[in-house]
Amino acid sequence: MRIAIVDYDLGNVRSILSAFDNKGAQVQLTNDRNKILESDGVVLPGVGAFKHGMESLKKYGLVEIIKEYIDTGKPFMGICLGMQMLFNESEEYGHTKGLSLISGKVVKLPRKNICNEKLPHVSWNEIKGNVDNWPNTILEGIRNSSDMYFVHSFVAQPTDEGHILSTTEYSDWNFCSTVKKDNIYGCQFHPEKSGKVGLEIINNFMRICEK
Amino acid sequence: MKKIRVLARIDVKNEFVIKGIHLEGLRKVGNPNKLALDYYNNGIDEIIFMDAVAAYYDRNTLSDLIERACADVFIPITVGGGIRTTEDIKNALKSGADKVAINTKAVQDPDFITRSSKIFGSQCIVSSIEAKLVGQNKWEVYTDNGREPSGKDVIEWVKSVQELGAGEIMLTSIDHEGTKRGFDINLYKHVAKNVSIPIIASGGMGEACDAANLILGSNVDAIAIASILHYQIDSIQNIKNTLIDNNIKVRI
Amino acid sequence: MKPKLEAYYGLPNEVKFCKICVISNQRPNSTIEFKSKKGEHKKVINFNKDGICSACVYQAEKETGIAWEDRDDKLRALLDRFRSGDGSYDVIVPGSGGKDSAFTAHILKYKYGMNPLTVTWSPHLYTDIGWKNMQEWMHTGGLDNILYTPSGILHREMTKNAFHNLLHPFQPFIVGQRIIGPAMAQKFGVKLVMYGENQAEYGNSIEENTNPIMNMDFFSSDNELDMNFGGVSMKEYIDTGRYTKHDFQPYIAPNKQVLIDAGVEVHYLGYYLKWDPQECYYYSVENTGFNANPKRTEGTYSKYSSIDDKIDPFHYLTTLIKFGIGRCTYDAAQEVRNDKITREEASYLVEKYDTEFPDIYFKDFLAYIGATEEQFWKTIDKHRSPHIWKNVSGEWALRHTVSKRGTDD
Repeated sequence: MRIAIVDYDLGNVRSILSAFDNKGAQVQLTNDRNKILESDGVVLPGVGAFKHGMESLKKYGLVEIIKEYIDTGKPFMGICLGMQMLFNESEEYGHTKGLSLISGKVVKLPRKNICNEKLPHVSWNEIKGNVDNWPNTILEGIRNSSDMYFVHSFVAQPTDEGHILSTTEYSDWNFCSTVKKDNIYGCQFHPEKSGKVGLEIINNFMRICEK
Repeated sequence: MKKIRVLARIDVKNEFVIKGIHLEGLRKVGNPNKLALDYYNNGIDEIIFMDAVAAYYDRNTLSDLIERACADVFIPITVGGGIRTTEDIKNALKSGADKVAINTKAVQDPDFITRSSKIFGSQCIVSSIEAKLVGQNKWEVYTDNGREPSGKDVIEWVKSVQELGAGEIMLTSIDHEGTKRGFDINLYKHVAKNVSIPIIASGGMGEACDAANLILGSNVDAIAIASILHYQIDSIQNIKNTLIDNNIKVRI
Repeated sequence: MKPKLEAYYGLPNEVKFCKICVISNQRPNSTIEFKSKKGEHKKVINFNKDGICSACVYQAEKETGIAWEDRDDKLRALLDRFRSGDGSYDVIVPGSGGKDSAFTAHILKYKYGMNPLTVTWSPHLYTDIGWKNMQEWMHTGGLDNILYTPSGILHREMTKNAFHNLLHPFQPFIVGQRIIGPAMAQKFGVKLVMYGENQAEYGNSIEENTNPIMNMDFFSSDNELDMNFGGVSMKEYIDTGRYTKHDFQPYIAPNKQVLIDAGVEVHYLGYYLKWDPQECYYYSVENTGFNANPKRTEGTYSKYSSIDDKIDPFHYLTTLIKFGIGRCTYDAAQEVRNDKITREEASYLVEKYDTEFPDIYFKDFLAYIGATEEQFWKTIDKHRSPHIWKNVSGEWALRHTVSKRGTDD
């Protein structure tokens, strides 16, 4: 089970490496085209600003490589910023184009109740969804309303609601916390930082890669 | 309603966890990796590692510690103490930290917060503030692990750091820190009125109800606790249960 | 061959640093202060053949060579002998309310069931934090106290003389501080006096450590008129016509024989309990309302040690000038011995803070001793021993430092 974590100089890579390692994967940090294409699963991590992230991906020629990998049909997972970059564009620090692998845009987290609820959204929060849709996805077997760790100010808004696997409520607003389109997954939360439940999600991703 | 986060604050000197009072004293209380793992297994939401002597020795040396912690501890890790350059931040994140806490450098060079948050994202940048009571409802910002008064007013400074791009504030009361006499609720009440980024309260927790009193009495988002855990005064479960009993939501 | 540099005060010509802590071989031992004369030779801390100072040797003893349970038994036996059954005071604890005396008095009362009377020989000029801690000692710590303040007129003149003649402004203070315990014991009819630390912790000869009773000569004198204060004898002060023997009441030690006959004993708690100054800090915060200095103390990195007297920083400045040893060296050496910091860390701290000039109370000090800045520096520079200091283009620098960054290293 070979998992490649995309190396583009950003992202909390060590935790992701440890998490996959903990679950028994042969994991490597790379931006090499061959290594990525040969992997059974690829993860795009993300901590940082959208603009900076996209610039780094371009710098390493990763935009094409990621698209090439996605075309193989093998599983791909974007985490936090990694999920946001899957979409068409973001309004963080001005408009920036994303990978456009899933239709939708990234906006600042809309808040109805500004006084009590702050930005960035830094908190453990519940992911909720239609659990009937969860088998054979990374959320298989996860208890509905499990607490996951979020830290972000921006959220993705998929154009097609069918791509939304879970939502999370913050400040009276429900945003998309897990997204799935074919072989592409995105988690707005950090599974590698969400304790044992998060490790289960990582395990699920690996099981999908096995098939 | 938001969930309150309960963080373990682990002050480190070389290979030991130390616990002082008023940010003074180097009493050894355990092994950092062992304590971090214990707290993770017992339901803590996040860990903060602070290099307790980075200010003394003009260095920062927690990379090894963070790397080892990340192998077993899968919750957010913040590292602080001696973060002075963007290279320091990059190295901390590369070792596995999710966030960095910055105090002294930000006071000396406020633009550092802006530069760092532009590169790494503001959610990565925690502004660590040490507050000392100097008058009625008036606190002064200290640096260098509670050693040097800066002349800055805490309320003014928290407003600045938010504007500069910090994602969170960790606010430590020097007067209450290590005393186990409860939090300086008045401090947090005043600060929370003036910012809209999350606030982590640090300093003074001695028993479970201190946390409930703080959260009911001010608008903080998280608490960082140390003595109560390191001296095994109470358990994480009991602290969380006490919060739940007071209608405060936490991660179970 | 380089000519040998002159060493003042009979100090060892070669400057060496302990291999374990950071103290140098120039550190003087405690002396009988009221016999201090100008220009006299100092006895210094001993270094053994492995280059280790006697304080570190004693520390090793403390760790492994002493059965502390036995010492605790001895302490209980001692206290049993003196404990009053009728509610009267049964032990005098001298101190200023700093961490050490706070610990000593509190533990004697609340753990060992004694009835202490704390007595304070007043600092020259209380700092705000010092005064607060002193008050907390009473109000939160639950102890009784007598604060004894000698007349400022004579005390200041003595301090001034001590500064100019001996570069030891604290000399008169120390005389009074040593006396007050036994003197109060005599006045109140109490037989036991308990100090905190033993000076051997800091490098006095080890033999003193095995004897818990303080050297009687430290505080009792035979002929009062010969007593020296700031290098000037009592007789000389009186001969000026400005003072009479009345004014010397606070400084006259009780008669040795009288004390012996009254059964007065002076002990160190540090002989009976394993002493750790930093643990005294923790204890006093938790039990007597002690607060550390709000900010870093000048000349060092610490916040909890010796913070009650505005003149205190000038004591350390003068040890720096005379012996090349500043406040940071004392603090760091102690913390190395007690396993709080490593020698490497200590060296770094000494390099960073030892020579820091104590600005905050400089004006207070000059006003106290009635000196101008010019007079101050003239006296300071007169006392720089050539074997310790070198003048490099008008700036004074240490020839040797523990991190080997001195001009001659």
